[in-house]
Amino acid sequence: MAGVRLEHVYKKYPGSDNASVKDVNLDIKDKEFLVLVGPSGCGKSTTLRMIAGLEEISEGKLFIGDRLVNDVAPKDRDIAMVFQSYALYPHMNVYQNMAFGLKLRKFKKADIDKRVREAAKILDIEHLLDRKPKALSGGQRQRVALGRAIVREPQVFLMDEPLSNLDAKLRGQMRAEISKLAKRLETTVIYVTHDQIEAMTMGDRIVVMKDGIIQQAASPDVLYNHPVNIFVAGFIGSPSMNFIKGTLTEQGGAVHFKTTGIDIALTEGRAKIVREKGYVGKEVVVGVRPEDLHDEPVFLEASPGSIVTALAEVVENLGHEKNIYLNGIGNDTVIARVDGRSDIKEGSNIKLAIDMNKIHMFDTQTELNIFES
Amino acid sequence: MNASWRSQLESLFHHTFSTKTMEKSEWLKDINEGVSSGNKGHQMQEPGTTYRTKSGFVRFLLQERPGQVDYIELTDTISDREQMLLSIIIRQAAAEDKLGIGNPAAEKERIALELGRWVKEQLETGKRNTPVPVEFTSSRLEHEMIPFLIVREQGSMHSEHEGLEKLLHSFFEEEVMIIPLQEQEWLILGPASILKDDTAESRMDEEGETADDMLTGICSGLHGMLANEWVGECHVAVDYPIIPAESVVDTAATLRETISLGRKYHIGENIHFPWMLSLERLLNGIPEEQRHRYIELVVNRSDLLLEPEIITTLETFFSMNCNVSDTAKKLYIHRNTLLYRLDKLKQDTGLDVRMFRDAVLVKIILLLYKVTKRK
Repeated sequence: MAGVRLEHVYKKYPGSDNASVKDVNLDIKDKEFLVLVGPSGCGKSTTLRMIAGLEEISEGKLFIGDRLVNDVAPKDRDIAMVFQSYALYPHMNVYQNMAFGLKLRKFKKADIDKRVREAAKILDIEHLLDRKPKALSGGQRQRVALGRAIVREPQVFLMDEPLSNLDAKLRGQMRAEISKLAKRLETTVIYVTHDQIEAMTMGDRIVVMKDGIIQQAASPDVLYNHPVNIFVAGFIGSPSMNFIKGTLTEQGGAVHFKTTGIDIALTEGRAKIVREKGYVGKEVVVGVRPEDLHDEPVFLEASPGSIVTALAEVVENLGHEKNIYLNGIGNDTVIARVDGRSDIKEGSNIKLAIDMNKIHMFDTQTELNIFES
Repeated sequence: MNASWRSQLESLFHHTFSTKTMEKSEWLKDINEGVSSGNKGHQMQEPGTTYRTKSGFVRFLLQERPGQVDYIELTDTISDREQMLLSIIIRQAAAEDKLGIGNPAAEKERIALELGRWVKEQLETGKRNTPVPVEFTSSRLEHEMIPFLIVREQGSMHSEHEGLEKLLHSFFEEEVMIIPLQEQEWLILGPASILKDDTAESRMDEEGETADDMLTGICSGLHGMLANEWVGECHVAVDYPIIPAESVVDTAATLRETISLGRKYHIGENIHFPWMLSLERLLNGIPEEQRHRYIELVVNRSDLLLEPEIITTLETFFSMNCNVSDTAKKLYIHRNTLLYRLDKLKQDTGLDVRMFRDAVLVKIILLLYKVTKRK
């Protein structure tokens, strides 16, 4: 097994003015499960394809272990890839599909047999070894694709949206299985997805990308609780963070955030930061996660300085929780996630308290998190 | 000569070396009548023996066979020194057994190279329906085979032919024919039997799997295998099985056009199928000026149609056969978000892609826009 290191990596396509991947620096540790996440066109797949050797690196260096592999062919990089399209070999059965790479590398028949059967056992597809891909379900095919990668015992697994062709239920199952598998195999995994749930649940570390640039690389906890900018804050979390534009003012020895339907006092610690950074009197964007808006009476009583009143336009009942779409806080719709037992009715005016210890605040120009920078 | 030697010499002399064969008696007669050099009067001929013919060629002997000789021929524009140098190289290669003559694998590669040259010539002169000349026909070319075209964007083919052959042989589990057309372009003739095995047939009956589906699966598998096990990314196209002796040139032309259209209209895709590109083929024939006029006519109504998010949305919508729910699922957005986007498009452009007529127009605009926006 080995780590992967990208040093100032760029990808520029001929005829294009802009680089698709810009100055990517990443040190992926041995046995780490790293997830690259971001919207379409953010450069995550291109980065993975450069690691795989399917795309040339325009500038910068790529190391697998200690070996510089910029000019090494994919087959010689000791990696195994699993992609969205399973691309199984339709004329071969499952056993032959899994054995193919080993056969090419002139492994002994007994070794091939041992590895294929072991991988099949891990993936619970032993009973499918004689079947051809067409006779398999989507989930089974994806397992075969994983098996084909596992038997190689590569230094690094590269996975590009491997679950995106599966239905929601199967995705959930396979997500857990891939995580378990990575731990069991003790191998380095680089996993690309646009799905933040996959990213949050699977990654030891998540790299959020936008426009070819790494926005933040951190653990799921850090990413969720300490996003460095508006993009990361909005991308991670579902429903996503609410952003409310308003002004900070000094009032009675406290710093208040004010805009349409909202006048709340910052905590002393946060007030100190904005004073020191010179934001008082200026426009800022406050970020509030839906779960940090509370309707419990105890919380309302304990937080008189952060109560807002709004119209509950839509109530989405998910059973264990409810998403309330609110009108009247700032200029856009704000979403609150409350307990499933809450009796908030659509069309009613309700009071909610914001957990002021959990709010985020962003500079309107740089979009950076004022509390994290 | 094997491919490596031949290619090196060809690039050195800027000349194509085709191996030719003639009766030994004729060779001896020519050599005696030749204007210079040669091994005049000798019955035994050595590799590298060379002479200039009266008709303006320089010939070099590669090997002598019972009653026949194999040789290469150049126009006599080369100097005496070059002629001598080439003669030495051939003699040396023969001594080191690198000419590859008599070696079945090298001989097969030589024939494939020459067939490739011939196919290329026919393509360049637009003779798509010429049958393969007798000198190339073998039993393999008389049987039904699946044609694939592989195009790479980088690298060198010389050291890869053997590796590619081994890979393809392992993949198809039968002999395949690899015909190099250009430095980064190979026509592959794979066994049609993989479409016809018992299991496949029974599956076709049971599940209604068409030949298109089978070929798509094989082509995807082949592309994945080449990307993983060969030298990285490449473009692959496939067509229905053919009898190569009858229609190899026509098929090569179709596959070339397929890859060219695929690369032009479907950037980012590496697998291309002729039966999926009918509209693209038709639109490609529209003169540039007319394309521009048409796009401007519609697009000028609103820039919205050219926004990346709308383009992705529409492309997915069309690939999902205009099914709103499937498109929303594929895009990971709420159905209402998709409907909102489509409504906004309708409001701004007057085009409602949920209506067949407008969907056709927008599909054409998107395809035309791809090939004109880079101007």
